[in-house]
Amino acid sequence: MKQGKGLIIAFFVTLAALFGCDTIDCTLDNTVVMRCSFFKDGNAVQLHDLLTITANDTNIVLLNSQRDASYIKLSLSYFNTEDTLVFHVTGDRYELTDTLWIKKTSYNHFESPDCPVNMFHHITEVRSTHMYIDSVTITQPDVNFAEHENLQIHFYSSAD
Amino acid sequence: MKIFRFISILLLISLFSPALWGQSKKDKQPREKAPLLSGVGVGIDLCGLAMKGVGARFANMEICGRVGLKEKFFPIFEIGIGDCTRNGGETTNVFSTRAPYWRIGMDYNVNKKVNGNRFLVGVRYGFTNYKYDFSAPDFEDPVYGVVSPLRLEGLKGNNQWLEFCLGFETRLWSIMRLGYNIRYKMRTLQSVSELGEPYFVPGFGKNDNSCFGGSVYLTFDIGKTANLKGQKSLFGKRKKKEETKNKEQNAPPEDIAPRAAKRRGG
Repeated sequence: MKQGKGLIIAFFVTLAALFGCDTIDCTLDNTVVMRCSFFKDGNAVQLHDLLTITANDTNIVLLNSQRDASYIKLSLSYFNTEDTLVFHVTGDRYELTDTLWIKKTSYNHFESPDCPVNMFHHITEVRSTHMYIDSVTITQPDVNFAEHENLQIHFYSSAD
Repeated sequence: MKIFRFISILLLISLFSPALWGQSKKDKQPREKAPLLSGVGVGIDLCGLAMKGVGARFANMEICGRVGLKEKFFPIFEIGIGDCTRNGGETTNVFSTRAPYWRIGMDYNVNKKVNGNRFLVGVRYGFTNYKYDFSAPDFEDPVYGVVSPLRLEGLKGNNQWLEFCLGFETRLWSIMRLGYNIRYKMRTLQSVSELGEPYFVPGFGKNDNSCFGGSVYLTFDIGKTANLKGQKSLFGKRKKKEETKNKEQNAPPEDIAPRAAKRRGG
């Protein structure tokens, strides 16, 4: 009889374990941004000029009046195949504008129904105008949760 | 949650032991040798059906077939369908999959008596090929503000895993047996879409490196040991009769204690 009771109790304990509550494990650092570092004469630098970046086709301000930045983090669009970013650089004696085109492929990334869906990107090509920007190189084409340096933006040593 | 499951398993193990060890002391019947092919069994998992019935977010519905060798070794084959439709708690995301899975393995009966009760330890190897869907109706670009419903269908996955089982089963009535087991599952191989891992793997459970599972099996055993003498059914008449016989045989004579007291105290 003891055996029967033990069997029934253990049965319900098993059921409780199976139907028990659950936890949600979403990645905490779940922002997908493209990281661009600034260089002059081959060395990493802080840009003392005032920098504002807008998306050309929508006039959305992606970065507003940033000063003394050595790198920036920018969100790429989810559904465009090419993003057009306009760099507004304001120095003491000059105000320049450069345009940066970033071609990319984007793909979804999901973890769980409880977590927000993200979009990862793979940068395929970058080109720019050359008022203030000398050149742009791709160092890590994959833009995802890992905040690696994706682009190196080389400025002219002097804007004059 | 993992701690809760671990405690549940410890409780379960602690419940197994007294029932088995206690019984082995009481049963003083002579050992019966089981034949090499001691039986063939077919079972159905009631737990999976119950989970599906109560609308749980996932369920593994399965049947099994096994062969008994010497009442000790039970090579087993399990086949089932894993079903999951999961809505996000705070999102409108939906994950869904439904696919078959297979397990092969072996159980070993630790109980030395051939008395109808089996304390089983076992191992399984499971594998499944499946497709899964993921949809996010409100998928929005947070910076550019563009909303485009996301619907990913037919993403392919392939999983293999190892299971360690601990179970107990007893004879209910005639050839009908009821048993349950708990399983610790370890993923050995996974191949999924680069877009995202599945929330649920058929046969395995919630997708992780490891997880716990369990099943409650109603089995129909056909074979030489299915109705051996001395096997007790949990709800059979034979058990009551045997209990009353045992009580009559083991009951101490009523007059011994009072007489001894009389001799000592006068």
